Amino acid sequence: MDDETPSTTIDRRHFLTVLGTTAGGALALSGCSTDNVQKLVPYLVQSEDQVPGLATWYASTCTECPSGCGVHARTREGRAVKLEGNPEHPINQGKLCSRGQAALQGLYNPGRIKAPMARSADGTFQEIGWDDAIARLAAGLGKAGGRVAAISGAGRGTFSDLLADWTSALGGRLVRYETFDDEPQRAANREVFGTDQLATYDFGRARYIVSFGADFLDTGGASIENSRGFARSHGFEDKDVAKLVFAAPRMNLTGLNADQWLPTRPGSETALALAMANVLLAERGGEPAGLAGALASYTPAMAERETGVPAGTIERIAREFAAARPSLAVAGGVAGQHSGAVELCAAVNVLNFAAGNLGETVRFGADLPAAGGLAPLAELTRAMGAGEIAVALVHEANPAYTLPNASGFAAAFGKVGLKVSTSLHLDETAALCDLLLPEHHALERWDDLRPRAGVYSLMQPVMEPVFNTLPAGDVLLRTARAAGGALARFDAPTYEAHLRSRWQALATELGAGDFDTFWHEALRLGGAFRDPPASPAIALSVSGGQEARYTPPAFEGEGDFVFIAYPHSMLYDGRGANKPWLLENADPVTKITWHSWVEVGPGAARALDVRNGEILELTSPHGTVEAPVYVYPGLRDDVVAMPLGLGHTQYGEFARGRGVNPLDLLAAPTGEFVHYLSTRVRVRKTGGYRKLASVEGVPRQLGRGIAEAIPLAAAQQGLTVEQAYMEAGRGKHEVNTERELEAVHGWAEEQREATEYGDYRGEDPQWGMAIDLAKCTGCNACVTACYAENNIPTVGEAEVLRGREMTWLRIERYWEGGEEPGDPVSARFVPMLCQHCGNAPCEPVCPVYAAYHTADGLNGQVYNRCVGTRYCANNCPYKVRYFNWYKYNEKAWPEPLHLQLNPDVTVRARGVMEKCTFCVQRIRGAQNHARLEDRPIRDGEFTTACAQACPSDCIVFGNVRDPGSRVAGLQQNPRGYRILEDLNVRPAIAYLAKVLHPVEA
Amino acid sequence: MRTLAIVLGGVGAGGVAALLALADPAPQAQQAAAVADSIAAPVISDTAALRGPRQPIFFRHDIHAGQFKIQCQYCHYSVAVSPEPGIPSTQTCMGCHLVISGSDSASRTEIAKVRQAWSEKKPTEWVRVHFIPRHAHFPHQRHIKAMGPNACATCHGDVARMPQVFKVNQVDKMGFCITCHLERNVSRDCSVCHY
Repeated sequence: MDDETPSTTIDRRHFLTVLGTTAGGALALSGCSTDNVQKLVPYLVQSEDQVPGLATWYASTCTECPSGCGVHARTREGRAVKLEGNPEHPINQGKLCSRGQAALQGLYNPGRIKAPMARSADGTFQEIGWDDAIARLAAGLGKAGGRVAAISGAGRGTFSDLLADWTSALGGRLVRYETFDDEPQRAANREVFGTDQLATYDFGRARYIVSFGADFLDTGGASIENSRGFARSHGFEDKDVAKLVFAAPRMNLTGLNADQWLPTRPGSETALALAMANVLLAERGGEPAGLAGALASYTPAMAERETGVPAGTIERIAREFAAARPSLAVAGGVAGQHSGAVELCAAVNVLNFAAGNLGETVRFGADLPAAGGLAPLAELTRAMGAGEIAVALVHEANPAYTLPNASGFAAAFGKVGLKVSTSLHLDETAALCDLLLPEHHALERWDDLRPRAGVYSLMQPVMEPVFNTLPAGDVLLRTARAAGGALARFDAPTYEAHLRSRWQALATELGAGDFDTFWHEALRLGGAFRDPPASPAIALSVSGGQEARYTPPAFEGEGDFVFIAYPHSMLYDGRGANKPWLLENADPVTKITWHSWVEVGPGAARALDVRNGEILELTSPHGTVEAPVYVYPGLRDDVVAMPLGLGHTQYGEFARGRGVNPLDLLAAPTGEFVHYLSTRVRVRKTGGYRKLASVEGVPRQLGRGIAEAIPLAAAQQGLTVEQAYMEAGRGKHEVNTERELEAVHGWAEEQREATEYGDYRGEDPQWGMAIDLAKCTGCNACVTACYAENNIPTVGEAEVLRGREMTWLRIERYWEGGEEPGDPVSARFVPMLCQHCGNAPCEPVCPVYAAYHTADGLNGQVYNRCVGTRYCANNCPYKVRYFNWYKYNEKAWPEPLHLQLNPDVTVRARGVMEKCTFCVQRIRGAQNHARLEDRPIRDGEFTTACAQACPSDCIVFGNVRDPGSRVAGLQQNPRGYRILEDLNVRPAIAYLAKVLHPVEA
Repeated sequence: MRTLAIVLGGVGAGGVAALLALADPAPQAQQAAAVADSIAAPVISDTAALRGPRQPIFFRHDIHAGQFKIQCQYCHYSVAVSPEPGIPSTQTCMGCHLVISGSDSASRTEIAKVRQAWSEKKPTEWVRVHFIPRHAHFPHQRHIKAMGPNACATCHGDVARMPQVFKVNQVDKMGFCITCHLERNVSRDCSVCHY
C-alpha cells in the first residue's frame, strides 16, 4: 500500500501530519508517504475545544431543504468530517437524510467560488478583493435609487429578516423563492380552512393513511420526521401495521412503501378524495350538515369513471379509512402539481375534516415558513424584463435553472444593470451575474433558522472557512456602512453581533433569564426549543350549499403520454447535482446513478417496443429532450416520467452537462406555482442506446427468500417466517427440492463446529445487527452515511456501468408481482451489507489471510495484507465485497473534497478488497474510551454510521452476547431470519420480515 | 524483556516506579532508574555528530525531560486521552520561554528562534521522527492506561537523554508491536490496529 502513494494524496496520515495552525489554517501539504520526510506542524495557540486525534462535535442546522433539521458536525483537527442528526432537535431527533449529510460535499466542493469576483470587460470573471466588491455593490445601490430587488431562498430566520429590512430600506423589493413550496396546499388551506398555514402531519398516530401522490417519506416536507412517524405506525410496533394506500399515476418512494397502489389517471385524484369523503359521510351520518350535499355528485361510480380505480375498491378504502381513527389523508407533492392541484388539496382537506383528523393527525399552529408562491417572482421577471430593476441580488436561489426555460427568467434577468449573487457555487444564475460575493457555507457561519413555531435553530461555524468567502449577512452590513444613506441604520459591526443581539431579544421574549447561560445552552443544544403551540381550532370555511369543485386537468399538447416531472430523491430540485455522493447513490426507486432517465410503464414499453437503455425522444409544445428508457412497473401506461435535478449547464464539474432537464418540456409557469404535470409528450424511438448506470442486480427474488415478508395475522400470532409459509400451505423455498434441503441441513449440522471459528475465548463481545424490514423505507440515508464514515470512493458513471460501484451498504429493491398486466406490483427493500458470517465463505479462500474472523465476531479485512486475488468476492454469496480497480484514492476526492475524509479510516489503495467493517473504527474508539474508564462498553453507547442515520430506526447494532442489549432482543424476534441461511454461513445480521396486509382488489 | 529494561532507564524519574510495577522488570532496570535521577545534560559543541534528523530548532529533550525533569505529558498533553500524543503549541513553549532566555549562547540562540516564531505567528515545522504506516492505528491512550504515565520510553527510547531525538525502535515495523503484545499476552487480532 505504501509504495504507490504519490506525494499529492491526502488521507488519514496526512491529516495527522498537518495539525493545522490557528486562524487562516494554511495547509502545509508535504509528502505523506512513510518514506518521505514528514513535518509535524503544531498549533500556534492550542484551541481549547480540540484534542488532536479526538472528534469535536458542534451543533448546527441543515440548510439543504426548508425542513430545518438539526445537525451535529463531527470535526477532527479543525475540519468537519461528518454530519449527523442532532438528537436534541425536535424535528429530526438525531437522524439525517442523504441530502443533509451531503452538505459536507457542498462545503468542500471543488466548484465553490473561491473569492469575490467581478465580470471584466472580456466577459470573464476576475478575482477582486472584498473591499472592492463591497464598494462596487454600494456604488451600484447608490445609483439604483430604489430600483433594487433581492431574490432569496433563505429559510426564515435572522438573515431573511435582515435582508427584508435592508431591501425595504433601499426602497426595493424582496422576493422569496423556494423551488418546491407547497403553494397548492397553502391555497387549499386558505380556501377550505380559512388559514394561511400549512399543517404538520402526525404519521405516528395515524391508523390508516391515504397519500394522493404526496411523497412524504422522501422529497415532500420534513421527510425525517415523517419517516419516524411512519415507522411507528407502519413498522409493526404495538403488533399492528397502519395501512398506507397510495393513489397516483406514478409510485414514488412513498408509493413503494404503500400496502396498496391505486394507479389513478393523472390529475384525477381529486375525484377519488371527494368520493371517499362522500362514502365516509354516508357511513358516519350527516355531520357536518351541508357537506354531504356538496359531495353528493361524487359517487364511487363517478370516481371510477375519472380515475380508473374500480368503484368497489374506492368504497372499501373509504370504509376502512372511516373505520380507522385517527386516519390521515395527505395530498400534493411536486409530481401532482397540475392546474387542479389546489382542488386536490382542498378535497383532501375536506376528507380529513370529515374523518375528524383535524387536531388529531392534522395539526395547525406549527407556523411553517413559506416563500410565498411564484407570483411575486413572475412580477419581478416582468419588471426586470422592462428594465425597471437596476440592481438584483440573488441569494440561495437558482431560478435560472429551477424555472422552466419558457419562463423567460434568464432573459429578463440579463436586462438588470448590476446582477449580484451570493451563491457558494457558480450555478446557472450566478453565471449570469456581474458580481459574485460568495457566501460562507452554513457550516462556516453564524446564523439561525426558525423552521416552525417554538423551534429556534442555531448555526455556528464548525471550522474556519475553506475559501475567501464572507457571510451574506456581513455583505449586507458592510455594504450598508459603505453606502450609508438609508442603510446607515444597519450599524451592527458584524453579522455575528447582529445575530447575538437578536438572540438577546429572543432570550427576553422567552423569559430565559441570564443571556450567557441561554446562549451557551442554545449553542450546545443547537438552538432553543419550546413546546409547539396547541393546534388552533380549525373550522370548515366552505359554505353549506357550495358544490365541491373538481376540474379534470387539461394537458396541453399532442401525444399519447402525459408527462410527469418529479423531484429526484437525491438531487431534489437540482441543488444536489454537484455532490458526488448524491450522484452515485442510486435513486431509491429506479436504482439509477449519475444520469437522467425516462420511465415508461411495462405495457407502454411493449407497445413502443423499447427496453431499458433505449433512447427515447420526448417532444412537448415547449421543447424536446432525449433520455434512456427505464421500464418501471410502478407507472401507468399512459404516462411517462422523468426526474428533475439534472441537465445543468453550470454548477461545477460534477453537474455540468450531465443528463437532461425535463423542465425544458414545461410551459411558462402561470399563477402561484409551476405545473410539473401539465403537458403531453410525443414519444419517438431514436434508435440510440445507452446502458443504464444502474446498481440494480436481479430485480426479482426468484424464490431465494432474500426479502421475506409475513402476513399481518401471522405476525400477530408470533409465527416465524417459515411457520407462516407452512400455514399458507407452501414450503419456504421453491427452488430447492426436499432432498436438496435435507442435504443442506445435514451438511449444516456437520459443519456446526466449524462455525465457532474465531470465538476463541467466549468472552469477547459478538457484534451483530438486526434490520427490521417492516420499518425500512429504502430511503438511502444509511448508504450516504456509510460513504461519509468509511471514506468510500465514488467511482463515476463509467465505472458504475462496469459494476464497480463501491457501496459497502446498498439497498436492494425487489419487485413482487406485476409480472402480468393487471397484477399489482409492490416493492421490498433490503439493506445489504457484509453479513459478518460466523462461518464466512470469504475467509478460507484468502491465500494471505487478509479476510479472517476476529475474536469479537467481525469478518475482518486487513487491507495491508490483501494482494487482490478477489477470491473472497467470488466466494461471497451476498456480493458485498468491493475491489479497488483503480487508484480511486486519488481520483474520488479532488481538492478540497479530500478534507472530508475520516481520519479514523484507512483510505484504500488500488488492488485492495474492501467491504463493510461494522464501523470497526467506532467499535475500537468506544473500546478505547471505555478502557480509560475501566468499564465494559454499554449497549447503545455507540452505533454504526448506518444505524445512526436511519430515519426509521430500522437498523440496530450491538453486542449480541449481552442478553440485555437491544440487538440481542431483536435477534430473538420470531419475525427474524437470516438471508441465505441454508448456506450455513451463520450471518451476524438478523433481518426481521416485513409485515404485509392481505392483498385486496 | 531485555530491550524493555534498557529503554526503561531513560524515563523521567516521577512515574518510573509505577511503570516498573507494571512491566515486571529485571533488577538492572532499577539501577538505570536511579541514574535517571541525576542527569546533567551535556554541553553539545558538535551537533553534526548527533543522531536523528536535524530539527529547525535544536530543542533538547535531555535538558527539558532529563535535567529539569519536566513530565512528558506537560507538552505531549493528549497522550493519555487520545490516540494522538499531541505536539506542544508554540504558546506552550512561550509559557516558559517568555521568561527563560537560556543560560549560554547556544541555548539563547535556539530560544530566540522560538520567540521569533511566536512573534511572527509561524508554527515551527518539526521533522517527524516516529511514525507508523497509515493502515495501522496506534491508540496512545490505551498504552498509557495499561503501562502508566511514563511508559513513553518503551517505544521512544531514552528521550530524556537525547540531545536530539532519534528513532531507537522500529516502531513502524509490526514486529516491534507484536513482540511486546506477545510478551504481555494482549490482543494479536489484526483488526485491533488495522482498519
